[in-house]
Amino acid sequence: MSSSRHRDDAAPPPPLAGEGWEEGVSVRKTPQEERALSRIASVDAIRPPPQAGEVKAARAQPQRIEVQRPLHTLMLPLSLFAGLALANAPAHAFIAYVSNEKSNTVSVIDTDSWTVTKTIKVGQRPRGIDFTRDGKFVMVAVGDDDTIQVIDAKTQSVVDSLPSGPDPELFAQDAAGKILYVANENDNTVTVIDLEKRARLGDIQVGVEPEGMTISPDGKTLINTSETTNMAHFIDTSSRQIVANVLVDARPRFAEFKHDSSEVWVSSEIGGTVSIIDPNKHEVIGKVTFEIPGLRKEAIQPVGIGMTKDDKTAFIALGPANRIAVVDVATRKVLKYLLVGQRVWHMAFTPDEKYLLTTNGVSNDVSVIDVAAQKVIKTIQVGELPWGITIAP
Amino acid sequence: MRVLVLAVMAIVLSGTAARAADPRYPDWPCTQAKVPEISLAAVWAGPPLDEVQSKWKDDAKISALVAKLSARKTPLDEAEKLVKEFLAASASDKTANAKLLFAGLFDTLNAQRSQVINGLERVSRKQREAADKIREETLALQALQGVTPRDDAKIEALSNELIWKTRIFEDRHKVVRFVCEVPTTIDQRLFALGRVIQQEME
Repeated sequence: MSSSRHRDDAAPPPPLAGEGWEEGVSVRKTPQEERALSRIASVDAIRPPPQAGEVKAARAQPQRIEVQRPLHTLMLPLSLFAGLALANAPAHAFIAYVSNEKSNTVSVIDTDSWTVTKTIKVGQRPRGIDFTRDGKFVMVAVGDDDTIQVIDAKTQSVVDSLPSGPDPELFAQDAAGKILYVANENDNTVTVIDLEKRARLGDIQVGVEPEGMTISPDGKTLINTSETTNMAHFIDTSSRQIVANVLVDARPRFAEFKHDSSEVWVSSEIGGTVSIIDPNKHEVIGKVTFEIPGLRKEAIQPVGIGMTKDDKTAFIALGPANRIAVVDVATRKVLKYLLVGQRVWHMAFTPDEKYLLTTNGVSNDVSVIDVAAQKVIKTIQVGELPWGITIAP
Repeated sequence: MRVLVLAVMAIVLSGTAARAADPRYPDWPCTQAKVPEISLAAVWAGPPLDEVQSKWKDDAKISALVAKLSARKTPLDEAEKLVKEFLAASASDKTANAKLLFAGLFDTLNAQRSQVINGLERVSRKQREAADKIREETLALQALQGVTPRDDAKIEALSNELIWKTRIFEDRHKVVRFVCEVPTTIDQRLFALGRVIQQEME
C-alpha cells in the first residue's frame, strides 16, 4: 500500500518520544572537531563563506558608492555609478587572511569592499597565521598536519611548507622577518626556523606546553606563556635558555609588547585579567581588570591583545563576553566595551591603523572596528570557527 | 556469539565512560561546556530592557514575529531580513519596537534552549540506566552460556534482546551528539538577530 510511504517512523535515528527537542541539527564530526569542541562550544556554520567572484558584485552595489561620493553628485545612471566606484576606490585597500579552524580554510578579505574574495583550502586545523615581513607570503600553522603551510599572496594558493614540530598552534617572527619561532602544542618545544632557507635551525625545550608567544621588538627576548605553569617564560633568543619566569593569572593565552618595549601585556583566559609585566625587572607591575554589568565573571575571558603604534590604546578580546575592551594604556582602565561577535579571540590592525579586524569563532564572522571612532562598522561572514587573522603590510 | 557479546559490552562501556566532564553537571552528556542560561549582557549592548519585561506578549504582531524568527526552520538570512523590514516599517516606534522584539526573542530562545538542555540531561540519565541494564544482561547471558546442558532457546532470546537494546542505546547516543550542538545554534541565532536589531536602532 502506498500509504506506508507517508510514515516517517523508519527514518534513522529513531525518534525519542516526548523528549522535547527538535530535529534539524547539522551532522558533522571529526576527531579534530571533537578537540575543538571540548574547549569551546561551536556548531557548523549557518551560512557558507562567500565564494570568489562575489567581490565584483558587491563592488557594483549602489550603497558602496554612497560611501565614496556625496549623494548629491550621484546623478548619473546606475551602470555608470559602478564604474565610478571602482575608479574612486581608496588607494589603500588591504588584504586580510583569516584562518578557519574548523572548515580547514583561509578566507581572504578585501578591506575596500569588506567582502571575502577567496577561500583557500589549507591543511587540517589552521590556527596561527601571519604574513612574512615582505608581504609576499602568508604562513599558517596547520596543527593536525604537523606543519606550517606557506601561501603565495600573489596566487593565493599554498606553495610550500615549513618544518615545525608536532601540532604547531602559533608562531612569532623577529622584526627582520628572518627567524620564526613556532609553538608546538604537543611536545613542549619551540621550533626555530630560518625563514630565508625555510630550514629548521633547532628546538628550544620550554618544558611546558607553549601557548601564547611573542618576541620583543629588539628580537632578543621570546616570551612564551604556558597554561600548565600559569607563567610567562622569558627566553633569551641567542642562548635559547629561559632567563625568567613570571607568574600571572590562570591560563595565560597571549602576550603583546608595547611598541616602546617598556611593558609586556599578558592575557589570562581563566583568570579574567591582563597582567602588565616590566620586561627588565620581570615582575608584574599592574593589571587590567574587566567588569561588564549583567555578565558573569567567568564569561569574561581575555585572549587577543592589539595595541596602537602610539602605545596609547589597547584592544583586548574577551572571548565569550563577545566584546572587545578598549583600554587606555596609561591608566590601564577600560574606556568602553564593543559588542563584536561570539567568542572573539584574535585581531589585526590594517597598516594605516584605521581599522581593527577581530575573529569571532562561534558566530563565524569577522568584525570591523573603526579605530578612531571606537565603533563596530561591519561584520563579514567567513568560514567555520575563525581563529587567527593577519593583514598584508 | 561470545565475540558479539563482548563487543556489545565494549561499546556500552565506552559510551558511558566519557561522561560528565564538568563535575557540577553530572548528567550533562555533551563535550560542549554547559551554559545553563544565556545572560542578556552577552548578546545585548543596547538600551535597558527592564521596563519592557514580558510586554512583547501583549503585542500580537510582535509575538507572531518572535515565533517566526525563533523557529529554526526560518533560515537565519531570512530572519535577519524580516527584522530589518519590520523595524524599517516601525517609523517613530522603532526603538520601542526594537526593544520589545529583542525581549521576545531573548525570552523565547532562552526557553527553547533550556528545554533542549533539560531534554539532553533526561536522556543522559536514561542512557545510564540502559547501560546498567545491558551490562547486567550481558553477564546473565555469559552465565547462561556456561551452564550445561545449554538452553539454546533461552540464550537465543536473551541475545536478541541484548542486541536490540544495544542498538537503541547506540542510536540514542548518536542523537545526543547531534542535539548537543543545538544550544549553540540557538545562541548563534539570538546573537545574530540581536546584532541586527541593535544596528537598526543606531
